[in-house]
Amino acid sequence: MRTSEITKRPVVTHQGEDVAQVKDIVFAANGGRVGGFTLAGRGLFSGPKKEALSWESVGSLGADAVMIESEAAFEPHQSVLDRSARSGGSGGDVLGSKVLTDAGTDLGVVVDVVVEVDDDAHTCDVIGYEIEASEALETKGTRLLIPLPATLSASKEFLMVPDSARNFVGRDLAGFGASVAAFRAQLEGGA
Amino acid sequence: MLFSQAKGHKVVSTATAEQVGKVKDVVVDPTTHSVVALLLKKTDHGSVLRWSDLTGFGSDAATVASVDLLLESDDQVDGLRGKEHEVLGKRVLDTRGDELGEVKDLDIDPTSGAIISLVLERRSVPGAALVGVGSYAVVVGQT
Repeated sequence: MRTSEITKRPVVTHQGEDVAQVKDIVFAANGGRVGGFTLAGRGLFSGPKKEALSWESVGSLGADAVMIESEAAFEPHQSVLDRSARSGGSGGDVLGSKVLTDAGTDLGVVVDVVVEVDDDAHTCDVIGYEIEASEALETKGTRLLIPLPATLSASKEFLMVPDSARNFVGRDLAGFGASVAAFRAQLEGGA
Repeated sequence: MLFSQAKGHKVVSTATAEQVGKVKDVVVDPTTHSVVALLLKKTDHGSVLRWSDLTGFGSDAATVASVDLLLESDDQVDGLRGKEHEVLGKRVLDTRGDELGEVKDLDIDPTSGAIISLVLERRSVPGAALVGVGSYAVVVGQT
């Protein structure tokens, strides 16, 4: 799913109370994983909360809500940020960064982040970016999904992807997970 | 029996054969997946009738031994009544975080008061799956 769809989603306890909503995504492992969420109160006039939610405390990230056992899952904002930073940095805000292939082609600008929940490992991995295509791609100006390798190389300005990522570009989320898997398999195969 | 069929039923005293009220609402305890009390209207006495005090919950009426069993309030019931504990009309989320619909009706075991199922628009969920009832949603386990 796109991270833009996760923000504003309610955080609901198993007791059925909507105790917060997602304000922002905290990235971990150099931007390759979701480390947690910062939170805002529910309702129009409630501002950001002092507490945040680390991914480990999330029961489930569903289509309509982020489920938690109880409010005991919350922890201080800073400790979630610190833990994510220790795992290789947040990767910063990738929106607006340029995606550059290792062959030196600028593919476009990141407009959204695509994540996938791995239930077995209980992780939420960043599997791709939605980019606005540059003139290097035939479909300049359109939005495309670009798969990411399992480990990322990112700076403030650029995100580096292998040139072969161009062969696995998708147009919509259906089937994108499979093309990411194929892309990563091909990288591991050393092709 | 569906709550929609029981709603409005007369509550009759078996001692005097007189109507003592009408069924207005149910009070649900999510931890035991059951109805713990009926809330009554058109009563000159209390409006709370604990399920354990019912004599019968039949297809035509509910019966109670004596009007004295109607209470103004009850500690257990008071903690479970009110808008945030209401089940009917509320959205249903499963513990995955996916919305399943809205509770349209309850299927209640007329003997034990156990909730057999929550009836949603297009499907139903077994009462045993009930996890919690809060101001935002009714939460059910994965079914």
